[in-house]
Amino acid sequence: MPSPFMCFVPKKVRLSAAPALAAASLFLAACSKPAEPASASSAPAANASSTAPDNSAEVAAYYKAHPDFFVFKTPADLPANLAWTDGGPLPELGSPDRKRGGTWQGRIQDFPRTLRIVGPDANSGFRGYLQDDFALNFGQLHPDIAGPHRYFPGIATQWAVDLPAKTVYVRIDPAARWSDGPAVTSDDVLFMFWFNQSTYIQAPWQNNFYGIGENYTRVTRYDDLTFAITLKDARPDLLSRVLGLGPTPRHFYREVGEDYVTRYNWRFVPTTGAYVLTDAEVKRTTTNRNHITLDRLPTWWANEKPQFRYRFNPAQIRLRVIRETTTAWESFLAGDLDAFGMNLAEYNYERLPDNAPLVTRGLIAKSTFYNDVPRPNFGLWMNTARPLISDREIRLGIQYASNWQLVVAQYFRGDYTRLNTPSDGFGDMSHPTLRARPFDLALAAEHFAKAGFTKRGPDGILVNASGQRLSVTLTTGYESLAPVLTILQQEARKAGLDFQIEILDSSAAWKKVQEKNHDITFTAFNVGVELFPRYWECYHSANAYDQPYLADGASPNPARQLKVQTNNLQSLAIPELDALVTRYDQSDNLDAMRVMARRMEEILYDDASFSPGFAMPFYRVATWRWVRFPANFNVRFSSDALEQNVHWLDESQKPETLAARRAESKSFPPSVRTYDQWKPKE
Amino acid sequence: MAFRLNPITRKKLRRFRSLRRGYWSFLLLVALVLFACFAELFISHRALAVRHDGRWFFPTYGAMLPGKTFGLEYEWETNYRDLRASLHPPAKADAATLASAAVARARGDFVLLPPVPYDPVENCYTNQFFKPRAPNFAQRHFLGTDTQNRDILGRLVYGFRNALIFSVWFVAGVYGLGIILGCAMGYYGGTFDILVQRVIEIWSNIPFLYIVIIVASLIKPSLGWLVAINVAFGWMGMTYYMRTETYKEKARDYTAAARVLGASDTRIILHHILPNTAATLVTFVPFTVAGAIGSLTALDFLGFGLPVPTPSWGELLSQGTKNLTLAPWIVLSAFSAMTLVLILVTFVGEAVREAFDPKKFTLYR
Repeated sequence: MPSPFMCFVPKKVRLSAAPALAAASLFLAACSKPAEPASASSAPAANASSTAPDNSAEVAAYYKAHPDFFVFKTPADLPANLAWTDGGPLPELGSPDRKRGGTWQGRIQDFPRTLRIVGPDANSGFRGYLQDDFALNFGQLHPDIAGPHRYFPGIATQWAVDLPAKTVYVRIDPAARWSDGPAVTSDDVLFMFWFNQSTYIQAPWQNNFYGIGENYTRVTRYDDLTFAITLKDARPDLLSRVLGLGPTPRHFYREVGEDYVTRYNWRFVPTTGAYVLTDAEVKRTTTNRNHITLDRLPTWWANEKPQFRYRFNPAQIRLRVIRETTTAWESFLAGDLDAFGMNLAEYNYERLPDNAPLVTRGLIAKSTFYNDVPRPNFGLWMNTARPLISDREIRLGIQYASNWQLVVAQYFRGDYTRLNTPSDGFGDMSHPTLRARPFDLALAAEHFAKAGFTKRGPDGILVNASGQRLSVTLTTGYESLAPVLTILQQEARKAGLDFQIEILDSSAAWKKVQEKNHDITFTAFNVGVELFPRYWECYHSANAYDQPYLADGASPNPARQLKVQTNNLQSLAIPELDALVTRYDQSDNLDAMRVMARRMEEILYDDASFSPGFAMPFYRVATWRWVRFPANFNVRFSSDALEQNVHWLDESQKPETLAARRAESKSFPPSVRTYDQWKPKE
Repeated sequence: MAFRLNPITRKKLRRFRSLRRGYWSFLLLVALVLFACFAELFISHRALAVRHDGRWFFPTYGAMLPGKTFGLEYEWETNYRDLRASLHPPAKADAATLASAAVARARGDFVLLPPVPYDPVENCYTNQFFKPRAPNFAQRHFLGTDTQNRDILGRLVYGFRNALIFSVWFVAGVYGLGIILGCAMGYYGGTFDILVQRVIEIWSNIPFLYIVIIVASLIKPSLGWLVAINVAFGWMGMTYYMRTETYKEKARDYTAAARVLGASDTRIILHHILPNTAATLVTFVPFTVAGAIGSLTALDFLGFGLPVPTPSWGELLSQGTKNLTLAPWIVLSAFSAMTLVLILVTFVGEAVREAFDPKKFTLYR
């Protein structure tokens, strides 16, 4: 479910352990591999310019060939009665007490394999630094506002919504500048579509998302600073689908062509954000890849812009490449890293407990922040197309035989909570009363008996009359979560259920699941902050079978073939659910959608093919004393402490803090705090 | 016909026995192997013997006995530690418990647990946090527990057993392939020899670890798979030794004599050449075993070995290195066990090599 909030720059659908498990940095780079030498693929910009290709003609021809999508008008053509708005007064992000300057000492697990932000290998943890966390969009969802989502201006100054026409009109801030100088214009918006629709970039996800008629049906240029985007459907989140976009630098991508992937591999993409990789830094990293440093633009165009003026405070961001987490931990303790994610119980309770000298002496602050974001839906996804699991009684038995309470209590030390539905954390769009089924051996036995499994074999596993063992394979790509599966396996044995645990490489596991070759998979989808959950990808029969039903539209087609490479991991084909998903996806009424969403959750609950696992309702971070956060610590919709860049560095405190670390005598007031303003009230 | 070793072999064995270090190492190793073979009698969650209501049970081997066998209310495997605890409740337990325990004891009920009453894959602290716990003799965790509350001694011993099973199959595979191909190369020589040599050279250049990583990421590797992959990339060395030995023996007079007498190739290889190369083969066995244990441990350490929650040394070592400061007993146990076994195997290997040294016994000086 791709949809980061803030930046609507799409990310690939991918398995995500990140938010729930550890320091974000600990997992972010998990999918990246050792970097390749730059020399082979880098095309130095300087000498390329003399012979550089220019795609201007090609782009113009493309616009001309799609006159219904790329529309050119004049300001006089703007509808007269548009209600322009800038989102109104909203509380300002960050703290006026902030200090600018200093060098943030961070960590990445691998050196990035590319500096591109689109295309092969671009979807790595480093992309966050190049784009997701720093670049501005036209508007941004205010991450602190309760209730309906509100937006504040980013690159845009104003916008207007014409709901019947499914169109959003946007005015670009005349001050908006690319980091290499040129102003941001409407041409960069048109180009965004050309670029992302182009096959040169080798990015199927982008090709699909930005594709003509997929989500967007028209982009209209009125003048240099005014444009409009028309969407396919008028959904309640219409505004976010436009304001969440960011322009693409037309001037930078003039050379895009067949060789885009190699030509742009080691070029820093100009950004509207505050941090850049300088040419000198890019050059330096061709020989030294121990670290990479981003510099803050001293004359960033949004320096004094409301909502931005108190954020993006460090003058530099220096990222060391530290592969091993334990090594990174030692670096943190030595004061070489400014912060460390403490989400893992082992770190929070064993390695740096609240009574550790570094904490009690006030050198390191520990903060726990309860956030309010959609929870990654960790749990057991049962493939109803498989033998045994196709039987609902077996699925119910598995639900009651899965001891998630014990997982939460033992492995997560009671810090986490039980997930109740696959769409928890969407505020009142989530189902308010549905509760996951508890571990109950009596009920498990009852349901297994209904499915014909009554006798126990010599190894304690149930067998049916034909001698078949009650054994299913549990596939996962999360090696780090193996203990969770071991607990489930041991407990399920009590119910006479045998889980065969299969831990594969994460991409191999995902492939197996995408080809629907799994019995059960333990996985989760990473969900960004959105107004309402999505159902089509995971639950519509169109993503399960080629022809799910017979002609009557309700009875299962016996000859149906599984559809692969889709996210319907449960192979669900339920006519009532299909109808609801379709109506839900066409609805422009949030209240009606809420009713439908709850009904869909109930259908899914009854189908019992998803056993909800656990959710982490907070994040924890340990920071050195010189790292400061606003009084409320962070914003409501944040999945880690650094994401919104509201922190700052007080480097004047660094020498005395480090001296105190060595001297082991001096102390400061300790800071161990829990910020539970967004914690759901019991 | 009584089985009699030939005099030279007997001489070699006598010589082996006289090498004290190797011989004692050998005995100790045999003892360890026997211990691992019958580990269930010493380390198991199942009781050795239970007398319940006048009936005897020996649960160690055989089918699992559900709790209701012993009057408990559950269908899954009996928790024998609880069963025993119910017979010997603490003095501060309530009167009813004490009374029923006394009644049960009076009718002769008892539970005999092994010295370490835990299963190697079992979480020994139900409902408690996952964290490594230091050695605790009172609870019979003689080496402590690992990060998932599992008994380390149990995991060491059963891990050793897995390593041994792996080594046996690995040695069998490597020697089988190596001897057949090596003998054939040496005996037939010519084009066949050259061809196989080239194949071996190409094959040796395939990076073994990558293959293992790829296979392990695509399938759930079982012991059989691991043996197969390791043998597939481990047989080449043996062929070269066998090839040279066979070349050497083939040129000897007794081989020529056998051929003149009309012996078939098979007979010459099996009855004349192989026995005379046995010394070379035997001296390599201990080192191959050590290599096999080492490589299985390495694969497990890297996470490409046996599936969870199979006990293995590599997995313990990997846990240990991640918790060096928090739980040093994990890495200490695994490291000491591994060092001990590898040293023993190496001592045996050295002694065997010295005992079978052809310079000592051969007629050709």
